[in-house]
Amino acid sequence: MNKKVFSLHEVGISYRKKRGIFGEPFWALKKVSFDLYQGETLGVIGRNGAGKSTLMRIMSGIVKPDCGRFINYGYKVSLLSLQLGFISYLTGRENAILGGMLMGLRRKEIEGRIPAIKEFSELGDFFEKPINTYSSGMNARLGFSVAFQVDPDVLLVDEVLGVGDEEFRLKSTKVMQERIRSNNKTVVFISHDAKTIEKLCDRVVWIEHGESRMEGTPKQVVNEYHCYLHTS
Amino acid sequence: MFLTSLSDAMLTYLELILYKTYADLKAETERTYLGFLWWIFEPILFMGVFYFVFGVLQKQPVPNFVPFLLVGLITWEWFKACVSHGSSVIYGQYPLMQHVHLPKILFPIILILTDSFKFTFVFSLLLIYLWSTIYPINVAYWALPVVLLVELLFTMAITFWVAAIVPFVPDLRFVIENLLTAVFMISGVFFSAEQMTEGVQFYFYLNPLANLIEDYRKILLHGQFPDWSALMLITVVSLIGIFTAMQVIRRFEYVYPKITP
Repeated sequence: MNKKVFSLHEVGISYRKKRGIFGEPFWALKKVSFDLYQGETLGVIGRNGAGKSTLMRIMSGIVKPDCGRFINYGYKVSLLSLQLGFISYLTGRENAILGGMLMGLRRKEIEGRIPAIKEFSELGDFFEKPINTYSSGMNARLGFSVAFQVDPDVLLVDEVLGVGDEEFRLKSTKVMQERIRSNNKTVVFISHDAKTIEKLCDRVVWIEHGESRMEGTPKQVVNEYHCYLHTS
Repeated sequence: MFLTSLSDAMLTYLELILYKTYADLKAETERTYLGFLWWIFEPILFMGVFYFVFGVLQKQPVPNFVPFLLVGLITWEWFKACVSHGSSVIYGQYPLMQHVHLPKILFPIILILTDSFKFTFVFSLLLIYLWSTIYPINVAYWALPVVLLVELLFTMAITFWVAAIVPFVPDLRFVIENLLTAVFMISGVFFSAEQMTEGVQFYFYLNPLANLIEDYRKILLHGQFPDWSALMLITVVSLIGIFTAMQVIRRFEYVYPKITP
């Protein structure tokens, strides 16, 4: 068995429903347990509101669980975030540097990856122009290229693989899938779409009402998930 | 091993602080036609209003009132800008906090750097104005960096505290704005302690900003050294304030992202 990246043991987390001392807690996650191993692609499946995004925030160290244990064995885990911290009056290059640094890269690291970002985003001369002159498709291309180049130890992907116009969506989905499938890359892929999960993942965890309901091969879990959706 | 990884993280954050400060400043200049000139024009307009009310409409309360007023206003505005912006600095970063973990203390630090950079512009202009009139550089200027540093420390303490608490009680923002106006009125920006009775003076000097503004005037306008013991006291209080506020922010590091604005 490969080395453990992190493990969750009966993790629960609560938010306040309303502001103030009378706000009663709302448990977004109640009891989630699973481990992540190096090199695997773990799928997390569940309906909208099952707590998948909250789970992402725990795994990436943004929030801490209120009960249970979450242990990270020393890996850098990052959410794939597009256009993180982008400022509309700055150029594509400046936003790429800022975005990379916000995602934890040193300045010289992100500057070294600028040529790759510029090339992949296909922005050409627009790369040196303020992003408020961009179309939304161009913005998406820049956002994806930066996020893709940051490349952390463990990548958390929430639903979206590809972005932008038709052509770029195909291209970005393709490189993303290649990276997810590659053997040395550890990825957690979250979706409510069973088809993509089955195609990309080595193992799947099913989250329902804030609890981990089942864990196993994509086929087993997706089958059970479908049965549940049809009966409920 | 632990130490190298620690210092590596520190360096990463230091670079981020500097670049984000640069980015925020640049974005601000790109937003308007006049760009960075507004960092100078805006305070001039603001000071113009006060000059008109206290310098033209009223009989001047102290001799050479304009330089007296300018020194007070400019140094006050530095403090005020930081604290006022500080009330929304962690609170306003909710979208960013949902996507990446960053030490929340970075936000007020970046803010203070940004506002301090703008302050250096206006302050340099003030110095040039003073030198070109009847207030040359004098020996007391040696103490100027100390007074600036003490004001920076005091500003950091208050800004950190405001940034730490407002996310929990957003209503405080309105209170803070009005408190700032109140403190502005009693900090001696447009009057001096000499105009007050002795009994009131004691309370007047309990306000660190009243002390700091008077110290700036002593140095810049009268060539006198500041009140060292008061500066010492403000430094100690500020350091305690900075330290405790940082503890509070660290304590709630993982709670801030859970508070929806």
